[in-house]
Amino acid sequence: MNQWEVYVNSEKELAEDTDLELTIRTLNPGLHKYTYKRVKCQVSSDLKKYADQLQVRLGRGQLSASRFSIKVLGEIQRMPAKYA
Amino acid sequence: MAAPRSNREFVEACVKSGDAVRIKQEVDWENEAGAIVRRACELAAPAPFMEKIKDYPGFSYFGAPLSTYRRMAISMGMDPNASLPEIGKEYVKRTNGEPIAPVLVDRKDAPCKENILKGKDVDLCKLPIPLVHDGDGGRYVGTWHAVVTKHPVRGDVNWGMYRQMMFDSRTMSGAVFPFSDLGKALNDYYLPRGESCPFATAIGLSPLAAMAACAPSPIPEPELTGMLAGEPVKLVKCETNDLEVPADAEIILEGEICPDYKVEEGPFGEYTGYRTSPRDFRVTFRVNCITYRNNATMTISNMGVPQDEGQLLRSFSLGLELEKLLKSQGIPVTGVYMHPRSTHHMMIVGVKPTYSGVAQQIGQLAFGSKLGPWFHMVMVVDDQTDIYNWDEVYHAFCTRCHPENGIHIYRNSPGTPLYPFATPHERKFSIGSKVVFDCLWPTDWDRINDVPTLVSFKNVYPKDVQEKVMSNWTAYGYPAVK
Repeated sequence: MNQWEVYVNSEKELAEDTDLELTIRTLNPGLHKYTYKRVKCQVSSDLKKYADQLQVRLGRGQLSASRFSIKVLGEIQRMPAKYA
Repeated sequence: MAAPRSNREFVEACVKSGDAVRIKQEVDWENEAGAIVRRACELAAPAPFMEKIKDYPGFSYFGAPLSTYRRMAISMGMDPNASLPEIGKEYVKRTNGEPIAPVLVDRKDAPCKENILKGKDVDLCKLPIPLVHDGDGGRYVGTWHAVVTKHPVRGDVNWGMYRQMMFDSRTMSGAVFPFSDLGKALNDYYLPRGESCPFATAIGLSPLAAMAACAPSPIPEPELTGMLAGEPVKLVKCETNDLEVPADAEIILEGEICPDYKVEEGPFGEYTGYRTSPRDFRVTFRVNCITYRNNATMTISNMGVPQDEGQLLRSFSLGLELEKLLKSQGIPVTGVYMHPRSTHHMMIVGVKPTYSGVAQQIGQLAFGSKLGPWFHMVMVVDDQTDIYNWDEVYHAFCTRCHPENGIHIYRNSPGTPLYPFATPHERKFSIGSKVVFDCLWPTDWDRINDVPTLVSFKNVYPKDVQEKVMSNWTAYGYPAVK
């Protein structure tokens, strides 16, 4: 199970069970903790629905009490190839 | 005492004088190191030199490098007990001289080249980048550092302290305000042309190089560092671009600012004492090379409520640079000071009130200068008020500033997105408002009959009575006054 975190201005941005594009950061222990990815994913307030866990922070870093499960469908490459 | 030439010499000098402590037990890069630095700032305690970092053997942290005036005095090679006016006088003396050009040294003489990571080896996570505050948008690489760039046409070098967050292993994002030197270069040149801007981030600078990077001086920072130190700063060529960086810095990140790609940055706890600016897409830095010293030390500034070096040093240099500007314009100023507790938002100017409108003239010059976006209040007091004594300044403000005639507001001026009071729209577009508090008695009042007399021990009793009372103070039964 992977642990992820997302910043949103409103939890309404986390529509359940539809394809979303989110910038999430890993909370898995290790040197790469807190690094980000842009992903296509689905989330659910049912914590058992998807394998990974997602916690939420609001605009000024406040930790939300809401928790979600998340399924990462794939990584989205936004960066132009010339910078790779 | 000579000024420390490097961060390492500075740490040693601070440990020796009791202004830094060596922490030998392991410290976690995730929150714990930041919390130590924050608490040290809030207690005005010695700077923490953390020798053992979880997951990062061989690296260390030095936090709160210049968050006290004692450490500022040490950084300038002065007695740690030097008073603030003495430190200020020395700063003005050194920075009013001839610029001292840097010297270029060979790579083999540059400690920052002891380890070099290029290509696939580049990974910011190999460095102990701290999570400074819980809830920050990321691990912040740059909190006490210099982002080195060069203007593509004019060629002038800029060292600026633009915060930088690690986004992924090779990408950082940061807040670069549009009125800053780098902001202007990006908006004037690089972004319209779609060209990448080479940059280098230097971390673990000598304290005077960091002071120069923080100072809003018109003198280029490498020269300013030399003037402050009394000798040329040593620079070395980067590995992957033409920039030159301080040879004795602990860590160097080289790369390019992307003109056509932005990632999210923030939020981040800032010098105002708040996390104010929203998470947003900001200037994005792609890292192509990392070089660092053996046993490198990462410097951490943990900004928040007063007082940290963000407030202390910026207040110090903004005040002194404004004093130089006002004097160059012939304004009869007697001193300029920002109390760090104002989080460098209020400029206090002492002046001989010899003509009408001088307070507004000072405000217009201050707000209209390069310094202006960083503060929004100017309080003008007379030369009888001690600008360093907040009790006196506050008394003058509350009693002499006329609520209608003494407050002058300027709308739609440059501001920073970090102003906690600003509306979301103002933050987004760096729009500010400014105010002058004129605490001078009007010059058209009769000095004898209209101006009130200050009723204080110093002001209303004859000298001989004052001396008698002071010399008999303990005989009256009071404890001695220090």
